[in-house]
Formats: sequence, structure tokens, C-alpha cells
Amino acid sequence: MRIGVPHMGNLYIPLKALLERLELDFVIPPVNNQRTLSLGVRYSPEGMCIPFKLTLGNLIEAAEAGADTMLMPSGSGICRLGYYAKTQEQVLRSLGYDAEIVSVGVSQRKLFGLLEVIKRLSNNAPWSKIISAFRFGLTKLNVLDEIERAVQKVRPVELVKGTANQLFTQAVKATEQADDYKSLKRVKSDYLEQLNQVERDENAEPLVVGIIGEFYVLLEPFSNMDVEKELGKLGVEVRRSIFTSEWTKFSLFLNPLGVNEKDRLHKAAMPYLKRDIGGEGWESVGEKVLHAKDYDGLVHLAPFTCMPEIVAQNIMPSTKENIPVLTILCDEQLGKPGMLTRLEAFVDLLKHRRRAKVKV
Amino acid sequence: MVKVGIPRALLYYQYYPMWKTFFEGLGAEVVVSPTTTQATLAAGSSRVVADTCLPVKVFCGHVLALVDKCDYIFIPALRSVKSKIYNCSKFLGLPDMTRAVIPECPPILDIDIDINKGKRRLYQYIYELGRHLSRNPLKVRKAALAAWKAHHEYKELMVNKGLTPPQAIAGVNAEKHSTPNQASIALVGHPYLLYDELINHRLIHRLEQAGYRVLTPEMLTPEQLEIAITRLTGQPYWTYEEEVVGCGGHYLESGVEGVIGVIAFGCGPDSLMMDMVQRQAIRLGTTPFMSLTLEEHTAEAGVATRLEAFLDMIQRRKRIEAKLCV
Repeated sequence: MRIGVPHMGNLYIPLKALLERLELDFVIPPVNNQRTLSLGVRYSPEGMCIPFKLTLGNLIEAAEAGADTMLMPSGSGICRLGYYAKTQEQVLRSLGYDAEIVSVGVSQRKLFGLLEVIKRLSNNAPWSKIISAFRFGLTKLNVLDEIERAVQKVRPVELVKGTANQLFTQAVKATEQADDYKSLKRVKSDYLEQLNQVERDENAEPLVVGIIGEFYVLLEPFSNMDVEKELGKLGVEVRRSIFTSEWTKFSLFLNPLGVNEKDRLHKAAMPYLKRDIGGEGWESVGEKVLHAKDYDGLVHLAPFTCMPEIVAQNIMPSTKENIPVLTILCDEQLGKPGMLTRLEAFVDLLKHRRRAKVKV
Repeated sequence: MVKVGIPRALLYYQYYPMWKTFFEGLGAEVVVSPTTTQATLAAGSSRVVADTCLPVKVFCGHVLALVDKCDYIFIPALRSVKSKIYNCSKFLGLPDMTRAVIPECPPILDIDIDINKGKRRLYQYIYELGRHLSRNPLKVRKAALAAWKAHHEYKELMVNKGLTPPQAIAGVNAEKHSTPNQASIALVGHPYLLYDELINHRLIHRLEQAGYRVLTPEMLTPEQLEIAITRLTGQPYWTYEEEVVGCGGHYLESGVEGVIGVIAFGCGPDSLMMDMVQRQAIRLGTTPFMSLTLEEHTAEAGVATRLEAFLDMIQRRKRIEAKLCV
């Protein structure tokens, strides 16, 4: 048995740590690239969303590398995600790969769904071993996200453009290689320190733009054409409340206890959207309401044909809390120059708005 | 008398008799929007973002047609009618979305229908809904029971007599005058696509003109659908999966001449479900299958041409088979 996993941003690093510690045989397919996308597009049903296409591409590439057991998130009451595994398994079969897709029930079973699957795959390894491996993976995830948050702050104000991005690439590599808590801690403090040392424009007051929308396209830079980096180049500070670690914390641990950030977003969205509509639709509306005051603008990312985000997109303009929103739909047809032009125009608009505000 | 408006779109085709009985039982008058026209669609599309799917655009057009004609509009948020099975986000967000895109809309009567929250919660929601029209809980109960009965009669009518929803609603009593051995074509898809003659360009009519008997999902019993669905995908995931996967799976093996899958462009659930049916059709290799994607820009001539080609292909196939038999 060889395990294959799909990509989503840097999630492969903690997953790799987890599987390595359990001494399982596994394949990490190549990070998302043009070939992955082409494969995914070629074998996907016509109207599918980009997360499906890319993850399918990953699974095909994993199967090419000999993986026969694929891990895919699933569950009921979310969106199409719950149906991914069924269809992807059929696609793999029709391509001649004898692969089994193990669905990880993330929506109902929370943390337990993942742990149970891992226990089964690891030939009943003792719980203590699984939990310690899991903890190590989570620590890596947290380190990565903490560094990324720092990078988001430095990007718009650094004097030499690209320094922060370079450091982040190095940090990701270092985190991947770290194999105990001690070296992980060193990586974290090292890179945070280096980011702190980056020369910056002290007088800059960067525009603040929140990135909201669907989970996968937010966290997978390949699918959104590096929208965060591009905004950074335009001198915009990016804020994003959805991080991979945040998600594991909330949807795996804290959700059953009911203490979380999501509640705050839901409450804010209440006057406009009263119920969970699957995916991140409810949260998107909530973020707009909640951050109308403290951000300059919002970039709303959604895969083309994403059901929850279309509902959110329809509701957003009607909120009393007013803030400019730029919706970018991501799919294989999204062209970078087109997106950049829209981003530039949007940032110009925000600059004008801020100037007008200062005058008043 | 209080007037309750019901848009002739989306869930109308499945539940209209039930809703009508319920509201009339509470002493309200039920107003239904007129059938879809090009203007309905244009008005609806002008309100929502471009990526919204065709049926929802049509729905908004129908709501607009009801503005000023009623005191309330009934728009349920239907999450689930079976345990552990959920619906498309657009159905869940329908009342909120309508409120957002059509601010001039009369007050919306919305009700959460979610079996997973338990029977008690559902009854509570029904009482809450009824309270807008009557303070007497017994009256609400009576109306709800009558509505439930009406719904079953409606379903039975379609299964037993082979009527389509619009025929059953209109009270067409004529038994289908089908000649025995008449060749039939099965349509697979959601009722709001199959029975809205504007958006599907009179698909059923065209098939009947060509001399085929048209079979639709409503003519199958729940048992038949369930058997087919279990064979194809195991546990269903979507609320109306039986209309697509169940129905498609059944008709592909029932000896019909051909199966046509009708989907709306950009439909999330259907993009996966119709794919399942298509894969099954390829695997079996016995019944011709065509999938027809509808959107605002689908031209009548395009639908007609594809249909002609599909029917020609079926005819040719029959001829060749007949020759081989000789």
C-alpha cells in the first residue's frame, strides 16, 4: 500500500511529517503546475470547479508514481467537496489505475475522522504514536502559518521588493526539513528574526485588503495566480483570516466545543444570511460585514461555478456595511495579465477612496 | 383575504399542490406567477450576478412578477428531506438571496426544512410558518395534514397515470393515449428544467411531435429510483439525486430508445451527477445518451438540431440492428 495525497498550499509539509513519523509508504505528487492542471481539466466533468480539477490532477500524478490509496477529504452537508471522492475514484479507474480513495470525513467526524483513517492505514499503530505524529505535523503547520503572517506584513513595505517572498520560500524548505521540535523552533525564530530585519519604508501606510472567499483557492496560490504576492507588489497589506492551521484548529478541535471565530462571522452575517449554505458562503458575507470598517477593500476569491460563493456574491452588495469588493473567479481560464489589470484598477480605486477620506 | 405568492420555478413543480393546500387551509389566497417568458428571464438575470445558474435567474424573474400582486411570498430554504442528505447552496440561501437582490419584494415567508434536526423541529417550523396566517395551532395542524395528503395524491397521480407535473397540477385527467410498443425516450433532470418550456425550448413537445413517448423521473416509484441509485453510487449525497442518478440509472437499463440528460450550465450538483449517468451509459454501451446543457444563450435552433441528430442516430441504429437480425 502506498498513500497518495492531494495538494493544498503548504499542507503537504505537515502531512509528510505525519506520514513519515508513522513510517508509512507514501507519495507527495509534484506541487501544482501546468501539467497538473491540464490533466485535471482533461479528465474532469465539464462544469466542475478548480479545486476538483487540481486535486484530480494531483491524484493522477500520485497514481503515476505508484500510489494506490488516496486520501481525500469528504463529508456531507458541505458542497460538491463531499462528492469529489466518488467521481475521482471513477476517473482513476477509467484511466486504468487500481486506486482506492479513502475519504476523510472532515465535516461530521472532525478530528476523529482523520485520526481513525490514519489509524486504519497505519496497521493499527498505537494511539500514542499517532497522536504524537499528529502533534508534530500540526506544529509544522503552525510554524508555517506564523511565518506567513509575518511575510504578509513585510511584503508591502519592504524596500527591496521580493525579499520577503524569498525568505518565505527558504522558510518553507527549512520547515519541511526540520525533523524535531527543537530544529523547528529554531527555524521559526530564525526566519521571524530575519523578516524583522528586512529594510522597510518607515513612512509607508499601506492599504489593507482582506482576502476572503472559498477555502481552497485562498490557500492554493497556484489556483489564484499568487494574488497575495501580486497585491504585495502593489504595496498592499493582505489580511486573511482563513489559514490552514486556523482551519484545523477550528474544524478539528474547537468546533465541537463551539468556541470559535466562525461564530463571530456567522453572527455578523445574520441580518443578511440566516443559515449555513455550505462551503464558506456564510463566512464570506460575515467577513464583509465585520471588516467593512477596518479594511480598505476586500478581494473575494471563488472558483468558477462555486455554489456557496455565488450566493454570497449575490448577497454581499446589499449589506449596509459598505466596502469595495473585487470578486475574482478562478479557473483554468483565468489569465494573469487580466487579473493584474483588475487588481491595479482596484488598488487605484482604493487609493482614491483613502485620499478622499483624508480630505474630509 | 391574505394573498400568498408562489413563484412558478424551482421547487414549484415538486410541491405546489402541497403548498397550495396548506395556505388555502389557512384561509389565504394563493397566487402563482405566470409561465416563464423571455421577459421573466431577462428581468431575473438583470438582478443577480452573471455566474448564477439559469434556474435561479428564472426564479428571480418569477419573484419579480409577483411583486405588488401578493402580501407574502413563500420561499422555503430546503436543506434536506432525507437523513444525511443535503441540498445545493442555492436552495439553502434562496430566501436570503432573494431578499438581497430584490429589495422591493413583499415579506418572505421562509421555512427551514431539515430532517436532520428531527421531526419536532420540523413541526415547529411548520407552526411558525402557519402563525403568519393563523393564530390557531389546530388550524395549522389541520392544514399541514391536508397538505401532506395532497402531496401524496399528487405523487401517486404522476406515478400511476404517467402524468407530468404540469399536467397533474392542471388536472388533466386523460390517460396517456400511448399506443403499445410506441418507442420512448427518457428525460433525466430536475423538474424545473424539464417542464419549463421556455428554457428547454419545448423539449417534451418536440419529442412527442417526433412520435416518441416521453418518460420522466416522476413516473418512477421511489423504490425503482432507490434500487438504481444504490447500484450506481451507493449512498446518495444530494437531495434530488434520485431525479438524476436514480432516474438515469433506471432508464438506461429499461429498454428505452434513448436517454437525454438535461442540465443547466454551471449547476454544481448536476456537473457531478450527470457525469455519473454518462459514465454508466458508456459502461453499459446499450442505450444512446445525450446530455443537453441549457443556459440563457441556448438557442432554439441549436436544441432542435441536436435533438434531430440524436433521433436520426437512434433511427439509423434501429435500421442496422434490424438488418443484422435478418
